Amino acid sequence: MRSSLTWLAFALAAALAGCAPGGQRAESATHAPRYFGSVSVPRDDVLRFNNGSEPETIDPALASGQSDGRLARSLFEGLTVPDPRTLEPRPGQASRWETSPDGRLWTFHLRPGLQWSDGTPLGARDFVWSWLRALAPATASRNAGLLYAIAGAEPFNRGVTRDPATVGLAAPDDTTLVVRLARPVPHLLYLTAYPTWLPVPRHVVERWGEAWTRPEHIVSNGAFVLERWRPNDRFELRRNPRYRDPGRVRLDRVVAYSVDDLSTGANLYEAGRLDWNTSGYVPSPFVPYLRRYADFRSAPFQSVYFYSLNVTRPPLDNVWVRRALNYAVDREAIARDLLKGTREPWGRLTPQGYPGYPAPAGVAYDLAKARECLARAGYPGGRGFRRISILFSTSEDHRRIAEAIQAMWTRGLGIPVQLENMEWGATMQATSALRYDVARRSWIGDYLDPSTFLDIMRGGDGNNRTGWRDPEYDRLLDAAANEAEPARRLALLARAETLLLADGPVVPIYHYVTTELVKPYVRGIWSNALDSHPLEDMWIDHAWRPGRAAAEAAARAGADPGGARP
Amino acid sequence: MIRYIARRLLFFVPTLWAIATLTFFLVRLAPGGPFNAERAIPEAARAQLARKYGLDRPLGEQYVTFLGRAARLDFGPSYEFPARPVREIIAQGFRVSAELGGWALLVALLAGVPLGIVAALRHNRATDTAVMGLALAGVSVPNFVLGPLLVLVFSLTLYWLPPALWEGAPSRVLPVLTLSAAYVAYVARLTRAGMLEVLRQDFVRTARAKGLPERLVVLKHALRLGLLPVVSYLGPAAAAVITGSLVVEQVFAVPGLGRYLVNGAYNRDYTLVMGVVLFYAGLLMTLNLLVDVAYAWLDPRVELG
Repeated sequence: MRSSLTWLAFALAAALAGCAPGGQRAESATHAPRYFGSVSVPRDDVLRFNNGSEPETIDPALASGQSDGRLARSLFEGLTVPDPRTLEPRPGQASRWETSPDGRLWTFHLRPGLQWSDGTPLGARDFVWSWLRALAPATASRNAGLLYAIAGAEPFNRGVTRDPATVGLAAPDDTTLVVRLARPVPHLLYLTAYPTWLPVPRHVVERWGEAWTRPEHIVSNGAFVLERWRPNDRFELRRNPRYRDPGRVRLDRVVAYSVDDLSTGANLYEAGRLDWNTSGYVPSPFVPYLRRYADFRSAPFQSVYFYSLNVTRPPLDNVWVRRALNYAVDREAIARDLLKGTREPWGRLTPQGYPGYPAPAGVAYDLAKARECLARAGYPGGRGFRRISILFSTSEDHRRIAEAIQAMWTRGLGIPVQLENMEWGATMQATSALRYDVARRSWIGDYLDPSTFLDIMRGGDGNNRTGWRDPEYDRLLDAAANEAEPARRLALLARAETLLLADGPVVPIYHYVTTELVKPYVRGIWSNALDSHPLEDMWIDHAWRPGRAAAEAAARAGADPGGARP
Repeated sequence: MIRYIARRLLFFVPTLWAIATLTFFLVRLAPGGPFNAERAIPEAARAQLARKYGLDRPLGEQYVTFLGRAARLDFGPSYEFPARPVREIIAQGFRVSAELGGWALLVALLAGVPLGIVAALRHNRATDTAVMGLALAGVSVPNFVLGPLLVLVFSLTLYWLPPALWEGAPSRVLPVLTLSAAYVAYVARLTRAGMLEVLRQDFVRTARAKGLPERLVVLKHALRLGLLPVVSYLGPAAAAVITGSLVVEQVFAVPGLGRYLVNGAYNRDYTLVMGVVLFYAGLLMTLNLLVDVAYAWLDPRVELG
């Protein structure tokens, strides 16, 4: 229903766009940038944006969705904060840090005089307590694995030991935090900005239990504090006067709406009720139409759409069959014709944008090779190949892509393929239990490093879901994990990915891109691969005028290649 | 009358029990569980969660515990929103859904009844045809078409009203109109049919023969009986308008209860689904009882028993 709704709204919007009288839309001069819907600069320093689906929780230790994380990061601040443009780590609650030569011992120096928003002092011990809490089995955090970089964290989280002293954390004084790592982690400073690594107020958590995140109880240390929450509607944030550097924050208030309907989000933006409609909440049929507007932004996003093959089921246990299926997918056609260029065809498991990563060549469409592989597997022309089914969760896009791939495999290879659509929860269970042949998956990276993708394919990993296990692959990943020298480490990871692609338990299909709408007067927001936009860097440019727009657009394109539209 | 109501209320108990039992086992029969997600959850954490929500106990024990709690209207915390008890989610969502539904019902009556009367009085004339044409359109156009159309005209073209959200009176207009359209139409048709039936009857002729002004004949004598079909429709309509506002809540981002039921089922949020289903069931039964009582009060010929 949603997709027909989207199409209807889109068709109507497109039909009426030409004759609409409102705002900037009427400006038809070809050289001046045009904007989608109404643009009027707000008088106050309030940012109103669509945060998407109602967050399940804003507790940083438990936050796993994007809408959860966005709020958790605005309310809480970790040792580091990401640069809004480059995502490079910058000092946050820690002002400086040093590391031992082998990269396994990190000493963080917190800023003096840090406070929670209720005035309680905040020190190194708060970080130790918060991380132990996230690791404690009783907390049942989905993301506890992100803390496994810390020595002893994994056995503690798995309940092998209950002694917190076995975890490599120490707070010798209020402003010094010593972290002993299980292995060198070059991207540690990216991790320390991630929600699971954010500090939480012990005195509030212990007093209120699970209700501690409610607006009447919550105390935070980030740029904003939570003022009001109406479920399925909005979170209202106010500037935190006790933030370590209140002068840095230029917004007085932030209203984060929880609008999960894509068309509704776009409508609110078009009507000028939202300053920012975040990525993922722009209906994909709108995208070709929105490209002409200067306030539409699109950039590569660290997420890949792929099919996984259940290698425990014949004939998918045969590597030549897996290769044949991989070569027979025309990714270009799917991205260009089916998705109207709104996604990028992709032949690897890891996405683009990892500095220094010598990425292997992706799998490319080659039907002749695919047929050859299938013949080598013992199924020349697809003869004798049993019917396999493609499992996907309910979504119009998933269905269209599955139909296209069904056609490619059936026509190209001569093998019988059927489609199997399940509701989301059932799909999750079927893939976890390896009760499928081919299943649609996607993965979003947590930090800027190929390991955030490659680790899921380790033998026995809960996210592997293919039954595929290769000791050599696991060995390469382990070697990379213990390698302190960055270039050598990335080379090891690239070898692992080469091996993975050659063995073909996954069929990469496309690379996601971010699609968002940002009013021209919103500043301090840049497109980046993690789709991460710290609210404390954003501000409202009250001096913005339509006349200045052309110069501004040029300036932005120059300053921000990532944000420039194609 | 009192005895009748008491007996009906007594019947609520087995009905709710049957619904609770059916729902309890049906949601657990659905494949997958509440802790499935794209990112796999560590085994230790999953076991911990299962223990916390009592999902590690035998099903029969879970069922007994659930029934005991449900009897006290305690459904526990939602699995998906751990900081929120299900009871609170229902209270918050229902307040909004009830307001939206209440306005929609009011609009349906205020617009539908006069339209129906006018159509009946101008039977088979142009006005009648126009009203019934409008009613046909109102019933046939689904609200997921009407909603975006209204948004397109009033929000995105004329810039008069907000396209969504639930803040301030202007934001109520479009969702209420969208939700009420079908009910306006239905009420108009029912009123018209009821009035046509009544206007032909002897007591109306008598009233006219006595020289009563037409206004009095219609509004005082005919309307009371002519409205009976509308009244009997009000119960199901009130229930439908409150429970069936899902699409409107979605299109207009209204924070009502309907969205929780669908998302709850989708996410296998057992406690939330159980709570909302039982709440809806109780609501539906209560409204039906009210209708029967109102029916007896309006038409002396109806005997409760």
